[in-house]
Amino acid sequence: MISPDPGSFRDPASHVLLDEDKAIRLLDERGLEGWRALSATGFFRSAVSEGRLIDAVEMAEAPPGSAAALEHPRLPFISYPYEWTFSMLKDAAILQLDLLEGALSAGLTIKDATPYNIQFVDGRPQFIDIGSFEAYRPGEPWIGYRQFTRQFLFPLLLRAWVGVPFQPWLRGDLEGLTSRQMARLLPLRKRLNPSALLHVRLQARMEERMADRAVRQELGAAGFSADLILTNVRKLRSLVESLEWEHGSDGWSSYVECSHVTRDRAAKGEFLTEAMRRLAPSRVLDLGANDGHFSHLAAGAGALAVAVDGDEAVLDDLYRNSTGSALAIVVTDLANPSPAQGWGGVERASLLDRARPDLIIAYGLIHHLIYAASIPPSHVVRWLAGFGCPVILEFVSPADEMVTRLVGNKLPHELHGDREEDEFRALLVPWFEITSEQALTSGTRVLFALKPRPA
Amino acid sequence: MIFAYLDPGTGSLILQAVVGGLAGIGVAWKAWRSKLGRGAKPVPGDDHSEGETVEDTSLPAEP
Repeated sequence: MISPDPGSFRDPASHVLLDEDKAIRLLDERGLEGWRALSATGFFRSAVSEGRLIDAVEMAEAPPGSAAALEHPRLPFISYPYEWTFSMLKDAAILQLDLLEGALSAGLTIKDATPYNIQFVDGRPQFIDIGSFEAYRPGEPWIGYRQFTRQFLFPLLLRAWVGVPFQPWLRGDLEGLTSRQMARLLPLRKRLNPSALLHVRLQARMEERMADRAVRQELGAAGFSADLILTNVRKLRSLVESLEWEHGSDGWSSYVECSHVTRDRAAKGEFLTEAMRRLAPSRVLDLGANDGHFSHLAAGAGALAVAVDGDEAVLDDLYRNSTGSALAIVVTDLANPSPAQGWGGVERASLLDRARPDLIIAYGLIHHLIYAASIPPSHVVRWLAGFGCPVILEFVSPADEMVTRLVGNKLPHELHGDREEDEFRALLVPWFEITSEQALTSGTRVLFALKPRPA
Repeated sequence: MIFAYLDPGTGSLILQAVVGGLAGIGVAWKAWRSKLGRGAKPVPGDDHSEGETVEDTSLPAEP
């Protein structure tokens, strides 16, 4: 069934409708003008063939009320910048700048600069908003510059220079950080950095002093040219290129080195492979994916694997090592997954609405929810059942060495009940049928293959 | 007519010329000067100027 994309409404020139296997972009006269300009260039064809730009074919007949319509392939999974790792946002920023440079050389421009126009396909960023391209009018400045700084550059600076994750900020404010906020966050050692002076401090000052006065026409008359945009784009590119996030092996990055992980990994892999063979899922949701070992297994067996974890560092490594794999990466805390938000509360869909899995991997997960996030075991089971698909789950008993570490300073009466294996099995009964199970050599963990009971 | 669904921000527009080096700074200065020169600049201390915007001069005067 065709339905309008609730996130596509800001640009009056172009709207997206979603169908089962394709996306349809409706263009008005102005949007059509942009498409004609773009599709006539060699830049368009080469960007599409390199996978940097989504493919688009003009439909023979424009639906009523539109000047033209384009057909795009439907993307298998949509993720949002507040679910990306540092390297993902950095690669997306570089793609945005490279496409703008290529567009300008072909007599075009990109009228906005938001990471929501970029998606990751087979581990590489792809620009998906064909409606953003239009013919460049001589004398016009780069309209998307401020948006680029707010939604790409400042979040990257926040991580690389301030050492603070950008995801909570981007999730909290969909417009990103303002130059004024960034100026206040700059660490002392970066205050006199030439890029910080220009893009952060000077921008903040000029934004403040020059508000409420339109200058687009005056800039053109004063001799503004595409060369000035190109200079800015190249400087921004080398700035973004220089940004690094050094993440050590703190937190769960060192998780794979734990003894229980290596001990049980082969058995868990076989259990998953068996489930993949039996169920042949097209989409697998790997909850608590960690280094992505099982996501890779699922992707290798022909599924799209969505690797979800709260640890940005492990997922950043996974991203950098998985180009070309059918693997989507989502940074989110599963005790507080990305909500539905934006305009009308629907502009950006919740992670759980976007997930639509055919199989869930819940390995090494439930003890984090139960012991670290204090979610009652019964809630965890109900939540998993809510997806309505088979689950392969690793049960971790209270005696497990990881649980001992997680419980830390909590006293037994401060923990939820139903933590023992027999109690947990009883919780599963109303929701799932256990189709197979296997005790792991650790002696404190059991794998369950669960089939949801008909509602 | 110039069209943008996005608010590019005046300061950010001028700044991107500044980023372009000396030539750009000249463009930014010229554009800002012509902006200020076009409108009726509020005179400090003049109570009547309060609340007026510099763009108003392009509108036809009321009879």
